[in-house]
Amino acid sequence: MSAAVSPQLELRGVTKRFGGVAAVDGVSFEVAKGDIVGIIGPNGAGKTTLLNCISGTQRLDRGDIRLNGSSIAGISPHRVAKLGIGRTFQIVKPFGSMTVRENAAIGALFGSAQARRGVAGAFALADEVLELVGLRAKADHPVSALTIPDRKRLEVARAVATRPQLLLLDEVMAGLNNVEVDDALDMVRAVHATGVTVLLIEHVMRVIVGVCRRAIVLDFGHVLAQGEPEVVLRDERVIQAYLGERYAKRLKS
Amino acid sequence: MIATTDSQRRWRRAFVIAGAIVAGYALLAPLTSLDVAQSANIPLLADKFWFRIATYIVMFVVMASAWNIIGGITGYAAFGNVAFFGIGAYTTGMLIAKAKWPFLLALPLAPVLAASFAALIGLPLLRLRGHYFAVASLGVGVALGELVQNIDYDGRPVFGGASGLFLPIYAVGHRGLFFFYLMCGAAALAIAVTWWVLRSRFGYGLIAIRENEEAAAVLGVNTTAYKVAAFALAAALTGLAGGIFSQWNVFINQDNAFPIEYNVQMILMALLGGTGTVFGPAAGALLLQLLIQFLGGSLPISLDIPFVSSEARPIIAQVILGLLLIVVVVFVPRGAIDFFGGRTRLSLAYLRRSLRETSL
Repeated sequence: MSAAVSPQLELRGVTKRFGGVAAVDGVSFEVAKGDIVGIIGPNGAGKTTLLNCISGTQRLDRGDIRLNGSSIAGISPHRVAKLGIGRTFQIVKPFGSMTVRENAAIGALFGSAQARRGVAGAFALADEVLELVGLRAKADHPVSALTIPDRKRLEVARAVATRPQLLLLDEVMAGLNNVEVDDALDMVRAVHATGVTVLLIEHVMRVIVGVCRRAIVLDFGHVLAQGEPEVVLRDERVIQAYLGERYAKRLKS
Repeated sequence: MIATTDSQRRWRRAFVIAGAIVAGYALLAPLTSLDVAQSANIPLLADKFWFRIATYIVMFVVMASAWNIIGGITGYAAFGNVAFFGIGAYTTGMLIAKAKWPFLLALPLAPVLAASFAALIGLPLLRLRGHYFAVASLGVGVALGELVQNIDYDGRPVFGGASGLFLPIYAVGHRGLFFFYLMCGAAALAIAVTWWVLRSRFGYGLIAIRENEEAAAVLGVNTTAYKVAAFALAAALTGLAGGIFSQWNVFINQDNAFPIEYNVQMILMALLGGTGTVFGPAAGALLLQLLIQFLGGSLPISLDIPFVSSEARPIIAQVILGLLLIVVVVFVPRGAIDFFGGRTRLSLAYLRRSLRETSL
């Protein structure tokens, strides 16, 4: 692949304001096809708002978002999904009255142009995806019977079932213990291995270092630093933003 | 589907057999009024009076099933569906009375107009959720009834005004039989549509909207289009019932084409039977209409309610319906079909669990 090929996802000066507060303020970055990129940042840095702008659940005030070179800024969520961007929610939003399989099937019934299929085909695709995320054995369970880590898996399964080219994961590891994080990491790697580009928001540093090839640090709505995870996490500004100025000085000396 | 046990299967079979007997009797009894049956000395199982009550019940089967599509499956508590009944009634009524159209040509326009109106008001209304949607849709239902009664042109009421609209009597042999079976056809259509919706991609999209609209949208469900389509579909079926009603009843006015109490009744029927199911609203309509007619004192089997005069009975009926609504919502939130269908057993533990889950 030559360098001249336009990036899969391109953000240019994306800005989203809530009243006087700019939750996301002039954010620009690119994600190449097949990459796996992590967005980190302290609470309130604007990570989820940024994801909402990309997936269309919130309208951006300024800037542009391009998918494969064409603008998707301000279009409705179902059209973003159809173009091939899948997402999960930090606070899981399962369809409570459905079984695990039915939940995944909704993604396969609608979703991207590669998913959209009839009811029988959708259930077959749902089973495939449940296998991939490790929920196959619980396919017939009602959602209410799932543990928290399993609900996070289901959230990913539904998004993967839409057959996205780009997957946005909003803190799928939050609230998991160490063993569960390892399992979830394997799941993210497995999904990425199917050829999906992944952009993930995470608080857990181990995740960023473990799977991401590139990390973007957000702070107060701005991009603070970006690059290889190990390098970015040693950046003084990043340490300051996370741990405060005093701690950063002590660390240096 | 959660695995079913033997006892659940027995319950379900008993329920299906009971339903088939009721439906079979209701569909065959009217035939005994035909001359052929009378000359063969078959006892008369359905007189004029029977037809009136049975047609009313079936009309509510249509309306409750239609409400189920928007209220039960999509989860938008429409409180003004009577507007579509009224539109259907007045569309057919006006075409027959004023434009002199034949009934069977005027009837198909009732669902078309009702659905168009629903699509039009659905676009702004369905942006509202929860109580806001319920109140707004109720407002539409009330306003439309008032409009129909009060619109004048050149000093003369357009839609018959306060004195109502009279239709010519439809010339057909066995009128009662004809309208009963026509209404049954509409009910069969409503149930078939529900059955199809629950198995289709469309229906899965609607259920996803009910369970979590934002999640449905990011998975690719065009939520606005789906909600409007569900609303219009419910309106079309309700309008069809209204269209049949106008020619059957021969006279329509604000009181019988836009009765506010129908709004509550169709919801209560769907809740009582079980929202989101194929046969729940139909079962609820049958149970509740029989109860309403019984309390109103218009069934052949009647019971004197102590301390209540016959004039006060319809009022007492409303009070009892209100109490029933509370009991159903609190104790049987998933409806009667849930235990008749064998998914759960009606027991004290079930009622207690429901009470806990309703979290008053």
